[in-house]
Amino acid sequence: MATENVQGQAQAQAQAQVQAEKLNQALQHQLNLEGVRTRALDLFNTISRLLEIFDPISRANPNLRKWQDILGQFSMVNLELFHIVEEVKKVSKAFVVHPKNVNAENSTILPVMLSSKLLPEMESEETSMKEKLLHSLSHLPVSTQIERLKSRIDMIAAACDGASKAIADARKAYGLGSRQVPSMVPPIDKVQAAKIQEQEKLLKAAVNVGDGLRIPGDQKHLPSVLPAHLVDALSSGDGVHPKNPQAISTNNIGTQGTAIQNSYTQFGGRSVPSPSGGTSSIDNTSASPLPYANSPRSGTGMMNVPSPQQQSQQQQQHQRQKLMQLPQHQQQLISQQQLRQSASPGLSQNAVPQLHDFQVQNQQKFQQLHGQHQAQFSQPQSHQQLQNRPLQSAHIQHNIGQSQMSQANQLRSHLGQYTGTASTALFNAAQASTNSQMMPNMPAAISSQSILPRMQLGQRSHPSQMLNEQMFNMGATNSANMAQMQQQQQFGGVLTNTQNLQQGLVNLQNPQNSNYPQQRQPQQ
Amino acid sequence: MECVVQGIIEAQHVEALEILLQGLSGVPREHFKIHELCLKSGPNLGAVSSEVRLLCNLERPEPSWTVRHIGGAMRGPGAEQLSVLVRTTTESKVSKNALRFFYALGYKLDHELLKVGFMFHFHRVALITVTVTSTNKMPKLHVIEEAIPVTPGMQLVEVSAPATADNYNEVVAAVSSFCEYLAPLLHLSKPGHLTGLVPTVAAAAASLMSKGSGQVL
Repeated sequence: MATENVQGQAQAQAQAQVQAEKLNQALQHQLNLEGVRTRALDLFNTISRLLEIFDPISRANPNLRKWQDILGQFSMVNLELFHIVEEVKKVSKAFVVHPKNVNAENSTILPVMLSSKLLPEMESEETSMKEKLLHSLSHLPVSTQIERLKSRIDMIAAACDGASKAIADARKAYGLGSRQVPSMVPPIDKVQAAKIQEQEKLLKAAVNVGDGLRIPGDQKHLPSVLPAHLVDALSSGDGVHPKNPQAISTNNIGTQGTAIQNSYTQFGGRSVPSPSGGTSSIDNTSASPLPYANSPRSGTGMMNVPSPQQQSQQQQQHQRQKLMQLPQHQQQLISQQQLRQSASPGLSQNAVPQLHDFQVQNQQKFQQLHGQHQAQFSQPQSHQQLQNRPLQSAHIQHNIGQSQMSQANQLRSHLGQYTGTASTALFNAAQASTNSQMMPNMPAAISSQSILPRMQLGQRSHPSQMLNEQMFNMGATNSANMAQMQQQQQFGGVLTNTQNLQQGLVNLQNPQNSNYPQQRQPQQ
Repeated sequence: MECVVQGIIEAQHVEALEILLQGLSGVPREHFKIHELCLKSGPNLGAVSSEVRLLCNLERPEPSWTVRHIGGAMRGPGAEQLSVLVRTTTESKVSKNALRFFYALGYKLDHELLKVGFMFHFHRVALITVTVTSTNKMPKLHVIEEAIPVTPGMQLVEVSAPATADNYNEVVAAVSSFCEYLAPLLHLSKPGHLTGLVPTVAAAAASLMSKGSGQVL
């Protein structure tokens, strides 16, 4: 019997063979043969049309193939085929393709179509799976095997069902049913949203800009007990009472008078008449600068040759200690900077002998110092040289130098602890910068307070000299320096220091201030 | 240079965020406690005041200090199209006398804050750092023990990655793609922009926290 041979293949040859017998009407209806036939015919026509269109184009001009179009057409064809296959599937079980004769057309394809043997890969896969499954059951009788396999299948089916159910439930519960934002999530009401936005603004402003975190000025005093890490950070290192870390800086901030008074106090006296109740770094100031007061303080930063040694050795020691304590890091830092920056040769020769001169107690330190300094610091810390320094570094150095100057007395003894070059370089830098470049910024007084050794140097500040000067420069210098140095209270501004320095310098003439080192005075 | 985005999350969902980040990054979380001091330069350092931040890491027993300067952000139409802020930053470790040093230079303390939280630091095309912190302010100067949160119920999430002028495009892409993974929980955007909360956060957080078949979107 001939059967309907409808092939829904892409090469559709819609051969609706008219058979001798008509099928059952119902079946015919079910099959909707007419419909399928029509579709198949349409598909066939479309494909042949497309082939006609694209073939010459592709042959003639391979570059002009418009893949976009071709793909579009292909998708359409694909869709048509899909529909046809769907239709046929419904009833394909009832029918079997049975070729009536083998001819050239189907000789190649028939064996494949008729074979029920699996492809080799599929076959091996199937055998391996079978092996796995039946391995445990092979010894049992067949019926038991069947039972077991059935139960296994049931279990797996149950697990799958359970899993899919759980997933569905979870999705419903969490509203994750679809990929879009679930509409069932209640929108946040406006009040809530406003609150949240306000909080967000607050938070972001605080983090990025700092709004809402600023403490009014009157409350800006440091607490009595600082957290550990800040104690380290803010400690002056010169024995200032940890509870009052501002003391040092406040000292500097102090009014003009304080510096002077401070200069008079000895090392032990931490009483700082300045309102800030500053430290005692000023204590060791001596009157050394006074003899040289005639030299123009407001000068051009010429480092004056130091005055004769006026300081007592004791004071020197104290001063050294103080000086060293605080700006240790800074000294080193700056001195190192200075070392790098200064291209000039070593110290003046004059400085050397003079260096030894007054540094009775610090001989060791200074010996190493001056030796190193010589190599690194130009002898004549002339204006030109100083001015040639970068302003910025000079500025920094100046500040540091100032502070150092104030600390000089106290920290003198510690000088040796640091690389001599470092300390002296630091001092030199401070002095030099102060002298040469700080003029616009620093008052003359500061510059004039170059740390020159007491020896009368015809030249500019010798590093060691400056060192000594710093050591013994107390009072105004100290206050100013300390102010700058320890700006824990950011009083800022060199001008205050300058004034203090000037005041201090004036007072240094007081014989009581014998501790004062010879202040750096512009060389004449 | 760095590429940075910020977002907010409610404190109740922080744990869920941590789980998500843990899964995405694959590295253990690190505690984060930083005391940030923001210093502004005084008039002696120029007409325009600059800002410098000193960060003290209090996580270890030995506090370590870092100085950080945040520069201007990249501008222009190209920058506006990016969802990530690209800005210049300079950072360096410093010794503990840095604060004194800056004070000596003329800087003044502008404000300070304490950030406590956790962070994840990992490599995903770019070296990405995600920090989730509660920002606290100190009513009394420097007294950390008495710090109170600026916004008690809300924490700040910051995703940042270092970049150079050459590769910032890739870094921006990496950060954006990473941020998409966090989309169910929070919305991240440039630091100046307001983001608001994400509507799916409750559901996503619940699913992350559940021990069952919770599945992240």
